[in-house]
Amino acid sequence: MKKLTWSAFVAFWASVVTLLVVGALAPPQSAHAEPPNRVVTLEELAAHATAGDCWMAIRGKVYDFSAYIPQHPTPPSVMTQWCGREATEAYDTKGYGRPHSAAADGMMDQYLVGVLVQQD
Amino acid sequence: MLLPTIVAAWLAAPAGWDAQSTLQWLGRLAGIAGFVLMLVAASVSIRIPGLDQPFGGLTELWQVHRWLGTGAFLLLLAHPLLLALSAAAVSPAAAAEVLSPPATHRAAWFGWAALVAMMVFLAPTFSFFGAPRYQLWKRLHALSALAVLLGFAHTLLLNRALPAWAWWALGALAFASIAYRLVWRKLHPGARYTITAVTPLADRVVELALERPRGQRMRFDAGQFVYLAPLDPALTAGRRQEHPYTICSAPADPQLRIAIKALGDATAALQHVRPGTDVLVDGPYGRFFEPGEQDRELWVGGGIGITPFVGRARAIGLAGAPVDIDLVYCSNDASRAYYLDELVAIAERVPGFRVWPHYFRDEGPLDAAWIAQRCEDVSARRLYACGPAPLLRETRIIRAALAIPRRRYHSEEFSFL
Repeated sequence: MKKLTWSAFVAFWASVVTLLVVGALAPPQSAHAEPPNRVVTLEELAAHATAGDCWMAIRGKVYDFSAYIPQHPTPPSVMTQWCGREATEAYDTKGYGRPHSAAADGMMDQYLVGVLVQQD
Repeated sequence: MLLPTIVAAWLAAPAGWDAQSTLQWLGRLAGIAGFVLMLVAASVSIRIPGLDQPFGGLTELWQVHRWLGTGAFLLLLAHPLLLALSAAAVSPAAAAEVLSPPATHRAAWFGWAALVAMMVFLAPTFSFFGAPRYQLWKRLHALSALAVLLGFAHTLLLNRALPAWAWWALGALAFASIAYRLVWRKLHPGARYTITAVTPLADRVVELALERPRGQRMRFDAGQFVYLAPLDPALTAGRRQEHPYTICSAPADPQLRIAIKALGDATAALQHVRPGTDVLVDGPYGRFFEPGEQDRELWVGGGIGITPFVGRARAIGLAGAPVDIDLVYCSNDASRAYYLDELVAIAERVPGFRVWPHYFRDEGPLDAAWIAQRCEDVSARRLYACGPAPLLRETRIIRAALAIPRRRYHSEEFSFL
């Protein structure tokens, strides 16, 4: 048992250091892929307000999360209430004052649809 | 224990089973299961006389505690790694961020602090940095309270899978157990006994005779042990430090007797403890001899491990009724065979109680043939063994060689880990 826990202890720190070093050395992702030219109005956004067809505007960009909602770690209702709406604050606070992780930021690009235009 | 994990597994199950979602799910489950194990381990670490009996004695209960704690440690090590690997599907930087989140992410840092505290208090348990000393191990193990608190804060802040009341219910038991240890036990450290006699038995072995001021007696079974903390101000080491010792008096003896061999600083100092000074005694604990009907028994005792057998032999001597017991007393030579004269005297008085001294220096290691030559129908006997680790290793081999079923073998090792 002592050997097993010692091995796990060493393996743990080896993995943590490896992940941190790789994270620090990896070139920054061409993070935010060129936003598609498509322009989305609030009106158009509001038309995609169901769980099966769910767009959201976050930080000026519009995403189609229809395919992602089933994978989100919370019950679907946490996300679906924001379908068709501007959801930056919800994304930034998760409803309890904590922002999403860098991992979440990185995943969003694949769902990008266009940029939001605010009309008067 | 499994229930919260299974419920969480179901509640937190992802819709898709791609590598990223699966790793994240496993990471969260490792955290939940690990912390549940940790809370249960904390709950069973409680030490109250009598409460250990349903578990088969304190030694057994602490074996359970050890398994739970080890499981918790391994799962909680896996927890952040699995989550980081899951984020690695997005980018290496995202994986690194899971392990080194922004300073504002308090919940994650609570988790880290809990894990590091766990590594510190478990390092001596698992001998990460050499064999530990009992007192150091014990003091560091008190850090477990901090680790549980930090882990609890981490869990409550991040928990999505289980309702908060489930964590509070599990936590309440663990916190009660910790509070009992850290607060109640400090205020009520045990019953005060006075040392009435200190009898040298051999080089570096003494027997203490203890009495309570008003003559009250502890109720115990032969083979049980107590925690004893000496208060003699003249002691050079170990004052107010408690250590476990087997009781070697008969339950009917008006005095509580304890044999102490100098194995470390505290026990060496106790060789010179003065009669008339007080000790604090907490117990009794443990269950060495199977309770219930009399059995045909084979006892193998060595070194200071003879003490539970001395206690039981004294009880048998007082009762005087016939028994069917062979005692193999292993020592290096006759000068180290303390209590032998008394044991032989009991054997002369009580029909069916036989004592077989075995001297390592003359006869080498004990083996099955040596026992079989002396004791009748050994295979049909219940085997009890107590002594240093090498003797217990021999005894396990002997048990197999004599075809004594595993469930009829009982041993107690003199090591706190």
